[in-house]
Amino acid sequence: MTAPDPLPPPDRRSLLRAAGASLALAAAAGCDDPQEFGAPLHARPRGVSADSASYATVLDLDGLGRGVLARTLGGHAIKLEGNPRHPASLGATDVFLESAVLALHDPARSRHLRRQGRALRDAAEFETWLAAQQAALDLRGGEGLRLLTGPVASPTTRRLIAALLARWPAARWHVQAPMEDPAAAAGAMLAFGRPVVALPALSRATCVLALGADPLGPGPAQLAQARGWAAARAAGREAGRMPALIVAESTPSLTGAKADRRLTLPPAGIEALGRAVAAAFGLGPAAAHPEAAPIAAALRAAGPGALVLAGRGQPEAVHALAHWLNARLGAPVRLVPDPLAAPAGTLAGLLAQAEAVTHLLILDANPAYDAPAGLDIAGLLRRVPHSLHAGVQVDETALACGWHLPLRHPLECWGDSRAFDGTAALRQPATVPLVEAAIAPDALLARLAGEAADGAAPVQATWRAAWGADFEARWLQALEAGLIADSAPAPLAIAPRADVALPPPAPAARGLVAVFAPDATLWDGRFATEAWLHELPRPLGGVMWGQAVLLAPRDAAALGVADGAVLELTLAGRRLHAPVLVTPGQAPGVVTLPLGGGRQVAGGMPGGIGFDAYSLRPAAAPWVAPGLALRPTGAAQALVGHLPERALAEATPRVRRVAAGEAIPPLPTPRSLYEPWRYPGRAWGMAIDLDTCIGCNACVLACQAENNTPVVGPEEAAMGRTMHWLRVDRVESGPPEDRSVDFQPVPCMHCEKAPCEVVCPVNATVHDAEGLNLMVYPRCIGTRTCSNNCPYKVRRFNWAGYARQAGAVPVRNPAVPLRPRGVIEKCTYCQHRIKAAGEGVAETACQRACPTRAIHFGDINDPDSAVARAKREGRSYALLGELDTRPRTTYLARIGA
Amino acid sequence: MSGFSTRPVSDAPLRRDFGWRFTAAVLASAALTLLLAYAVVALLWRGTALWGTNIPFVWGFDLINYVWWIGIANAASLFAVVLVLRRHGLRSAVNRFAEAAALAAVAAAAIYPILHLGRPWLFYWTVPYPAATQLWPQFRSTLVWDFWGIMSHVVVTFLFWYTGLIPDLATMRDRAAARGRLGLARIYGFFALGWRGSVQHWARHQAAYRMVAAMVLPMLVSAQTIVALEFATTLVPEWHQARLPLQVVATGLPSGLGVVLALAALLRGGLGLGRYIDDADMDLLAKLTAAAALACGYVYAEALLVAWLEDQATRQAMAARAFGAYAGLYWGAALLVVVLPQLLWLKGVRRRARYAVPIGLAAAIGVWLDRFSLVAGGLLRDHLPRTGPLYAPSLPEWTLLAGTVGLFALMLLVFTRFVPVVSMFETRHEESEADAP
Repeated sequence: MTAPDPLPPPDRRSLLRAAGASLALAAAAGCDDPQEFGAPLHARPRGVSADSASYATVLDLDGLGRGVLARTLGGHAIKLEGNPRHPASLGATDVFLESAVLALHDPARSRHLRRQGRALRDAAEFETWLAAQQAALDLRGGEGLRLLTGPVASPTTRRLIAALLARWPAARWHVQAPMEDPAAAAGAMLAFGRPVVALPALSRATCVLALGADPLGPGPAQLAQARGWAAARAAGREAGRMPALIVAESTPSLTGAKADRRLTLPPAGIEALGRAVAAAFGLGPAAAHPEAAPIAAALRAAGPGALVLAGRGQPEAVHALAHWLNARLGAPVRLVPDPLAAPAGTLAGLLAQAEAVTHLLILDANPAYDAPAGLDIAGLLRRVPHSLHAGVQVDETALACGWHLPLRHPLECWGDSRAFDGTAALRQPATVPLVEAAIAPDALLARLAGEAADGAAPVQATWRAAWGADFEARWLQALEAGLIADSAPAPLAIAPRADVALPPPAPAARGLVAVFAPDATLWDGRFATEAWLHELPRPLGGVMWGQAVLLAPRDAAALGVADGAVLELTLAGRRLHAPVLVTPGQAPGVVTLPLGGGRQVAGGMPGGIGFDAYSLRPAAAPWVAPGLALRPTGAAQALVGHLPERALAEATPRVRRVAAGEAIPPLPTPRSLYEPWRYPGRAWGMAIDLDTCIGCNACVLACQAENNTPVVGPEEAAMGRTMHWLRVDRVESGPPEDRSVDFQPVPCMHCEKAPCEVVCPVNATVHDAEGLNLMVYPRCIGTRTCSNNCPYKVRRFNWAGYARQAGAVPVRNPAVPLRPRGVIEKCTYCQHRIKAAGEGVAETACQRACPTRAIHFGDINDPDSAVARAKREGRSYALLGELDTRPRTTYLARIGA
Repeated sequence: MSGFSTRPVSDAPLRRDFGWRFTAAVLASAALTLLLAYAVVALLWRGTALWGTNIPFVWGFDLINYVWWIGIANAASLFAVVLVLRRHGLRSAVNRFAEAAALAAVAAAAIYPILHLGRPWLFYWTVPYPAATQLWPQFRSTLVWDFWGIMSHVVVTFLFWYTGLIPDLATMRDRAAARGRLGLARIYGFFALGWRGSVQHWARHQAAYRMVAAMVLPMLVSAQTIVALEFATTLVPEWHQARLPLQVVATGLPSGLGVVLALAALLRGGLGLGRYIDDADMDLLAKLTAAAALACGYVYAEALLVAWLEDQATRQAMAARAFGAYAGLYWGAALLVVVLPQLLWLKGVRRRARYAVPIGLAAAIGVWLDRFSLVAGGLLRDHLPRTGPLYAPSLPEWTLLAGTVGLFALMLLVFTRFVPVVSMFETRHEESEADAP
């Protein structure tokens, strides 16, 4: 997919401008104006070139980069795909990367300079103010200036911050990182005496103990870790010896869902288990735990394949003992310096010296929303005479600051980034700038630092210094590859102290424990501006357009509350009202509060979706806080997307589980009255590996982004009218306290004996020569009979003209028509991508996005294709095969009991 | 022959004033019909998003009401046909308005399959015509069968009603002319197709009438069956059952009979036709309703029992329908359709209109609940767990239902205003038979 850029990169912006201009010309000749870009109905637009190009660039999550290829058409970035060469992407994407094009095209993005929250058309006043403040700061050496940013690993941004601090030596830099776990850093200090991070190589791990860790869950390293874990599973299937994943957790996670053994424990119980396992290896005082001995034995047996991971919310002692155990076992971990470690203070540190602050520059951070409870940010912003916020969105902080400056979206600007493992990558504009007034964050810093701020200059300055004479060649290479080769730091050859002094466990707390967690779709709240993520059912629980606190069934029964009941949560005198979701697999006594909701100012989204758990979050204990009290309010709130009774007693389970090497006997093929279809050429098919599917939802959003799937909004979603062509079903089994979860992505099955085809009175859904079951939108009159007859329920109906509603399809792929009101639509196996691939390898959007490569797609007539090989595996089976629909999409059974 | 005795029947349409009750009824039903027009325009303007439907409940009131109205139409005309073919004594009294009720119900029903479409203005694409696209309908689709089913239903029901009406229209023509209302006489005369009452006319009329009736009979069963096949041919476990056509035909009977019963009572009271629709007629009608209800009881029991012997999916689907989220509809239907009409076996109940009529209407409501239970409750247990919330009708759907009730009522009121409600020639024929030695 990488199309090397034919022109030298410094010219790219002018090139893209030219492309934009030619698009405008084409539009003038045709019927699209730029606002209507890519809005074909039924057919491809005329006048827009079919040739698309991909540019390698990098996007950050929590300051750590993930490489992407931005597919552009006529100068517009329309879809992001993973950069296969980037270590934090490996060709895959997650939901946050997929939704970045939406944020880029968000009509509610910040477009104007603002003073006291009010938009200004003219920048002159701002320029005057900025010049005056610079002069004032120059006189005082920066006394009173504070810079507040999000976590920063970017070499250029860090260099510019250093330059800024050099210009104003008395200024200070503070970092607000709501997703950071201070205990992890403290644990590393305890074990090694210096800030390091351990990078686990899950691909080489044969026995993993996760102590509250969620390596498969969302985060900057998810894609790499999930790929590694899937590789280990693949090797295990090959060898007939599956790797073991033992997960101890308080609240269900994606990792827990894939665990071979899952222990539901409160945070303190996880700590006790960790200490007992460590004690079994001779670290720390003897401690007993009923589960410790077998786990220790398993780890010992795995030897260098053993791996212990400590997660968010665990105290420093558990992080330290995990480091110690990994060293002791020879676990496959690489120790590298923390790419985010910076000589910066914290938000609490900033507030501690609030009196001294006269100037506050907030760059790409939203402390007015995501600061912990008890830190009076609003007060600070009111008191500070001069404050400037720069951000892509108009958010809570933007409105509270004296000035707000619109920032460019990362897809519109130059920059660089480091991945979780330290690999650096260059960011380049992959689209025409959609907001001309906006400025790149590095350009702002460069300006303040007194450097050349134009375009790529700040980034080039960084790397020219690093590369010297080699610069020109390496710069081009790095831009094309999407990463800077060999820029990852060498692993540190250090060992933990032999006598790690584990601090004693905290005294047992009374009452309920509040566990704060990043939200599966909103993360820390920064994605609350994006409709795709609001309308994405959370992998566990299925809630969308809102949030819920998770409560164990036992606790819910004790309180007498059911799903949707609104509780009053009280923690340290602060109160919050939130609906409850009774969650099997949640540890009793533990209440999980997802962060990221309840934003009051979130771009074009209505305020107050979900609830603001930051308002309860203590600064001292950001992840686990005891002493929570619950009180039912008697009110109830519908949880959109959550369906209670989902389990069905089935003759044949829909998610099959087999032992390694075991084969599922094929079903007999009943005779049919109709001749079978014949495919002399290609025949498309799909195989989805349920053993490696981690339920991350990346495929769902990739499909939505690729196929112009409209957002229907909370009211329609509550009615069950979401339009996702691909859904990931959560299949639960077992008793509530030990619930096991499987994920099953369900796209259209493209049945050979398609039940939908015969019931359509007007032949709107038909079979094509390569076995695709196609929808002919213009022919559909909307009887919906096909949906009734589809046993997989993969067909979606345009109850209203969703695609034409404002904001429903903000970014449009011109290769896929928008569907009008009253027609059925469904998965096409990305027919347009098949066509675009020609004789080459066709990849569906979902397949491309999958971090674990669980989706195989291709020509089943070609015996050497990956999909044909997958379908020949013994564990291949058809969903509802007994109905004899002969689906082209089949599944590979999960390995395990 | 005592032409004298049918005078009150023919007088009714010739009366200039029908009284305030009739005017009020016409106004009310016309208001409801206007509401229907509003609902239809709103639907065309805003689309099916107005309804409470979703995935998987893609069908709601559109299909529920369609199947219900078709059931009423079928039962009413089935009843009329049986009377004609068996030359039953009751036929003179009730078959005319039974036919009219059937026609009005078909008209109400025929609206739904069109409005139910996502793009209703393209409904004609189900018609096999040589289109420029060179595309024929998918003849394997039950929806195409249904198109033929409903089309023949409309045509044959109309023919049946109209053929029976011709001699009476001629009578009306003559009596209107005798009263000097020549304009009215001309209109009646146009529709009487030049009927002069010759023996040849009578012979041909009898042959034609009986032939149309004979045509109606199998077609009614088949029309109902096709509607049922729309469900039965899908893979949905609770729908995919061979018994479904029988069940839909059988459960349609009490609702149609109940409606006819209620109409008969209304006509007796409202138009003073007690002599022509006598107590024995009402008695027989009530007994028929009770008997049909008993047959439904058998159908219900059979469904439950046979489901128990079926495969797991079907068994669970039946259990979900009878005991799941829509259990109230299922048991409500069983109560109103099967149990309640059994009271009509009691002479004291069926002889009193104030008991018999509510019971008949309750049976019609019960069958509506049964259709709801079939369309929505039948989907509770599909092959995979449900992906959407439950279906609940929205206000626009209720408006549409109220509107079609209004249309039905309006058509019947217009019918009583302009057409003899009791078959005069049959009454004369009956009485002459009675007079004969």
